[in-house]
Amino acid sequence: MLQLTDVHRSFGAVQAVRGVTFAIPTGATFGLLGPNGAGKTTTMRMILNILVPDRGTITWNGTRIDGAMRRRFGYLPEERGIYGKLKVREQMAYFGKLHGLRDPLLGKRIEEWMERLEIAQYGDRPCAELSKGNQQKVQVACASMHEPEFLILDEPFSGLDPVNAEVLLDALRYLQSTGATLVLSSHQMYQIENVCTEFCIIAGGHVRVNGSLGELRAQWPTRTVLVEPSSPMLRSVLERIPNATARPHENGTLAYDVPRNFDVPALARELVAAGDLTRLERMEPSLSDIYLRAIGESV
Amino acid sequence: MNDFGIIFEAEFLRRIKSRAYLIGTLLGAAMIVILSAAPALFAHGISSSTHRIVLAGDPALTAAAKTLLAKDFDVSATEPAPANAPTLADLAHAGDAAAVVVFKNGSGGLDVTAYAKDAAGFRTTTLRDDIVPLTVALAVHARPAMISSLLRDFTVDVRSLDAKFHDEASANAARGLALLLVVLLYLAIILNCQGVLTSVAEEKTSRIAELLVATTSPAQLLTGKIVAAGVTGSIQIAVWLGVGLATAAGVVNSVGGPSGGMHTSSTSPAGLGSIDLPTSVIVAFVIFFIIGFLQYATLYAAAASLISRTEDLGSVAGPLVLPVLAGFLLAQVALGIPNATGIAIASQIPLLTPFVMFTRMAVVTVPLWQVILAIGINLVATVGIVWLAGKVYRVGLLMYGRPPKLAQIFNVLRTS
Repeated sequence: MLQLTDVHRSFGAVQAVRGVTFAIPTGATFGLLGPNGAGKTTTMRMILNILVPDRGTITWNGTRIDGAMRRRFGYLPEERGIYGKLKVREQMAYFGKLHGLRDPLLGKRIEEWMERLEIAQYGDRPCAELSKGNQQKVQVACASMHEPEFLILDEPFSGLDPVNAEVLLDALRYLQSTGATLVLSSHQMYQIENVCTEFCIIAGGHVRVNGSLGELRAQWPTRTVLVEPSSPMLRSVLERIPNATARPHENGTLAYDVPRNFDVPALARELVAAGDLTRLERMEPSLSDIYLRAIGESV
Repeated sequence: MNDFGIIFEAEFLRRIKSRAYLIGTLLGAAMIVILSAAPALFAHGISSSTHRIVLAGDPALTAAAKTLLAKDFDVSATEPAPANAPTLADLAHAGDAAAVVVFKNGSGGLDVTAYAKDAAGFRTTTLRDDIVPLTVALAVHARPAMISSLLRDFTVDVRSLDAKFHDEASANAARGLALLLVVLLYLAIILNCQGVLTSVAEEKTSRIAELLVATTSPAQLLTGKIVAAGVTGSIQIAVWLGVGLATAAGVVNSVGGPSGGMHTSSTSPAGLGSIDLPTSVIVAFVIFFIIGFLQYATLYAAAASLISRTEDLGSVAGPLVLPVLAGFLLAQVALGIPNATGIAIASQIPLLTPFVMFTRMAVVTVPLWQVILAIGINLVATVGIVWLAGKVYRVGLLMYGRPPKLAQIFNVLRTS
């Protein structure tokens, strides 16, 4: 388990991280979310021991992270870096060696990961000649080919088309199957929501919320009900619900936020009695809703 | 293999296989061949026209002069005194001679006039030195050969009180060698440090640095990079030195050798081919190259780590050329006055020591305590520079944006 306890880090007068505390269970896939400048990258750099916290502790399975441990970790930084003149295989071999892989396993892993990320046909081409998306897959391969026990991926989906995003998701699922603990930071909520099991939203250097999606949803005060058709009779039923708030929605659908514990079966009976109800749906808050609320820009 | 070995291997192969390195090495070797051979080839090309002369005048005088001039000139003919001043046509007629030299025994002694095709290029001083015995012989009524023998055998015996060299010639040879090696030391340090500079800048500007420091320690990264640059740079220097010496030896054999007919002069490359490097100078060269390279390379690496764009490289690294240049220029001064107080002090100052102390050691016997003190001071300074530059490098690798001001660097270092 990775444990951050009361971690602080400043750069001169700027306090980038202020008392961050969270835990990531071994084998979990953890979404670290937050707006730009929230302190995500600084937190990730401290986890990898690139930066040293001013205060607080970071441990992996109860031990402070050192160089030997870091060799078993993987990292894909947000700002991509690549040796343009090196061929794909050479680039992967260099990073594989730095992570402790040696032949014949090194060669085997290079081939496996090129196949997995669908870049095998570029193996003998200089990285600079590849498209941005393929360069990104090379970098993912470099960070993952030693099959790390702990892997941080900062904005891994950025710049990938939907097909390649799916290829990357498959690779992440493979890493999950090996028991790796993954940390993903991304602004693409849909992918994060699909692949992550735990989440932490930070803003202004503070942890705003963290937990599983179920736990985050449990803390959410409202649920959204969708009702069709958008008739005056049905609308009047919804308007009578205490503390209900109408939400903008597409034509033909009524959308209302209602208190979390509201009795939806009772509402269904009322709506059926009121008119020709064709749809009633109770929606859980999305990760995007939770994120926007947590960083104080919504709700 | 540990991280250092992996980084060293990768850096070494990347550098040595790069087109720029290969082209630079080949171009450098070609330049050295040209520069080594050019003076001798030019001298060879012009020798026939500048050395061929015609002597005219009293047959007794021209006969005596011909003997004296034989070692430096090709006397193509001796003729009676001309009735009129010779013309260019006369020179052409005499096998494209450089001059007609007319000898007269006047009332004031020997009177010599050279009618030269190119007065500026004619070797007047050599001619004068060669016929001095003739004018003295005429004045004292002696045989020119006897005067010539007296002058040839008369020497001033200069004996050096410094035990390093037996005579002035050895000391001069050592100075020449020291100059050559200081230039080489300067090139070795500057070129290798440029290699470190561009390598760090490439990783910083391509944002690969963060990936690397997440995997290995900045210290290992920096060490691997510096050692690889040092080794590849040393190979390049060795190739250039070997090509230079081989070319010089070849030129001496083919042009300047006894059968080549080339006349010796102070600018002749003769002797380069048979340079005899004393072991102590080689050891000092290696020691001061290592010290100098470590000091400058870490500073260059630290400077390169602070930039975000290649365009900023010059402004950040430019000031670091100044101490290298200062050391190089002081070394030139040290060639002439190696024991002057200022030079002795400069030879103890880190960053200057590699150039100044090495030069002093090559040309005089420096007291052992001064050598030990300089090496001690520089080792301590090197540790300090490596520590500080390593810290700047570690912090700088993660700093992006405009190149930071000094105050910002100190602030980040203080809080890092």
